Amino acid sequence: MTPARTIAAALVGLVLLMTPTVLVASWVHSAKRRLAQAETATADGSAGAEGEVAIAAAADVGYCNGDLKRVLRRVLQSCGLIGDGGGVRGCQPVQARSVATMSGDDFNALFTPLAERAGIIEFDFDRAELDAGDIALVNRLFADQRGASYFFVVARASPEGNDAHNRDLSKQRAEAVMNYLRTTFHDPDLDKEVGLLWLGEEYAQLDAQFCAWQRSGNAGECDARTLNRSAFIAWIDCRL
Amino acid sequence: MKPRPFLVVVTASALAGLFFSAFSTYDFAQHLDRQVHGLHCSFIPGLASTEAAGTGCHVTLMSPYSSVLRTQLWGGLPISLPAMGVFAFLAFWAGYLLITRRETDRRATLFLFAANTLPLLATLVMGGIALFTLGAACKLCIGIYVASVVGFVAALVAWRRASRGPALGARVPDATGAADTLPAGAYDPARDRGADPLSPGALSAAAGLGIAFVLVPAGVYASTLPDYARYAGTCGTLAQPADPGGLMVSLGAPPGGRAAIEVLDPLCPSCSAFEARLSASGLDEALARKVLLFPLDSTCNWMVDEPVHPGACTVSEAVLCAGDAAPEVLAWAFAEGERIREAAKRDPEAAARLVRERFPRVAACLGTPAVRARLNRSLRWAVANRLPVLTPQLYVEGQKLCDEDTDLGMDYALTQLLARSGR
Repeated sequence: MTPARTIAAALVGLVLLMTPTVLVASWVHSAKRRLAQAETATADGSAGAEGEVAIAAAADVGYCNGDLKRVLRRVLQSCGLIGDGGGVRGCQPVQARSVATMSGDDFNALFTPLAERAGIIEFDFDRAELDAGDIALVNRLFADQRGASYFFVVARASPEGNDAHNRDLSKQRAEAVMNYLRTTFHDPDLDKEVGLLWLGEEYAQLDAQFCAWQRSGNAGECDARTLNRSAFIAWIDCRL
Repeated sequence: MKPRPFLVVVTASALAGLFFSAFSTYDFAQHLDRQVHGLHCSFIPGLASTEAAGTGCHVTLMSPYSSVLRTQLWGGLPISLPAMGVFAFLAFWAGYLLITRRETDRRATLFLFAANTLPLLATLVMGGIALFTLGAACKLCIGIYVASVVGFVAALVAWRRASRGPALGARVPDATGAADTLPAGAYDPARDRGADPLSPGALSAAAGLGIAFVLVPAGVYASTLPDYARYAGTCGTLAQPADPGGLMVSLGAPPGGRAAIEVLDPLCPSCSAFEARLSASGLDEALARKVLLFPLDSTCNWMVDEPVHPGACTVSEAVLCAGDAAPEVLAWAFAEGERIREAAKRDPEAAARLVRERFPRVAACLGTPAVRARLNRSLRWAVANRLPVLTPQLYVEGQKLCDEDTDLGMDYALTQLLARSGR
């Protein structure tokens, strides 16, 4: 074997040994540099929004405008759902009117965009018990919470009888819904989600336009009296 | 035919193996920046464009079999890196025999043959894993396998030819390097270099050199890696880790296991792959895991605009309905994810049908208000903890495993996180 061949073989060996070594060192160095660049970009905020991951949040849909949110906040605070409400559950009719600072029609109009998310639980005359049809509608609507933060139960009474009786009757209707939710769904957040309002016959009576909404009563029978022997229920997809 | 052409083939196949294993190592090393990269998934790497997730190359690269020492190094040591060293050495040794005209040296060619059994054995093992365990084919890997097999066969023939000596009538070089044609019956073994083989000492030195070919690049790789330990525990914590409503599904609580919460979508391919990696790493045995279901399906999840994983809401309900059998339903969903997603994409009711067929006892519970409400509360738990809208996520004792560390770097980062949470 000539020395030249030996040297050539040694050179080939050296090149072949260095090839993976140099390549690997270069690749790792390059990755290290990119890692440092990414850290710098994150630290100085120049990384940009591209690829930024959304954070889980409650729903806040288009109809949640400033006016609606303001009214909701007042009602919810007054009714003890948010802030320091002193543990009050439900609002008296006068309180509801004062926190909403609007007419009954305007109050009802607040809920108009909720047509698909709302339902009207129709009770029998002078009664506050849920029947099978009522329960089916409550189940369907309450289970369809999606990203909503608040569930409103707005109970009413038809004008027959005196104000005090109707106020009490509407309260019983709101509480009947609440009790059913409590015993059925075992939701630990229930007291932070469900807002009860009982309006008796004094404020924001529903008019015939609500006959077209989801109702638990007889589909072919709808007038102002049957509509208001009710509890209006709806998930509110707004963040406050 | 003389051994020489077969040594040329061994050299060429070793260089081909070096070429393919280098691209494979390059793809692996790209991920050391903790970002997502395309892969060279081609028989002509460098000429074809890189490919994103979902290819066989991606499956094999992200599998637990793509590297070793995973808990000691971030991502581990890619097995293609020692392969580079082995192929470089084989190319060197075959080239050495050619350059120094030792092609008829029986010991030297036997050594070459023995060295070539290493990539062949690796090919049999890794090819078997790819075929039977991963069910994925990686073109770069196939290139390495072919190079290994061709190199082995050529080395075998070269050795056999050297053992037999030159064929009658063949041209063999004499001591001066000149070639003569031997007449029949005139072959003189004393003239053959096989009569003057490399000494055992020289072959031992060659074996040591071969080991150096593997250890030097591997040592450079391991010693120059960035310090990844500093990222452990820096990716956020859970604000409200408690689960008073019993929303989560337990995946078992081994003795001494650290409390861990996995945020999973049962039809998310990344979640399925994450589970496979976690299981293969054995680190799941150190965790008392609970799963928070977070289906990326707009049917029930208002945080996504479309059903990213169609059917995920229904399958999540099935997991919640299954009670103690929840891990079984989850395992089925991971195994059959693609089929369920495709069926649900065509027909939104298909996922429920498939669940009822496979798990008849959850049929009555599926779609009920109670289970829908429970799934909704799972999603709202994510809201309360301000979780990113992505899956999978893993929290150990409330500390998040960084999203960048859920694939290649999982074993290392999770080991670091476990060590931190144990302090």
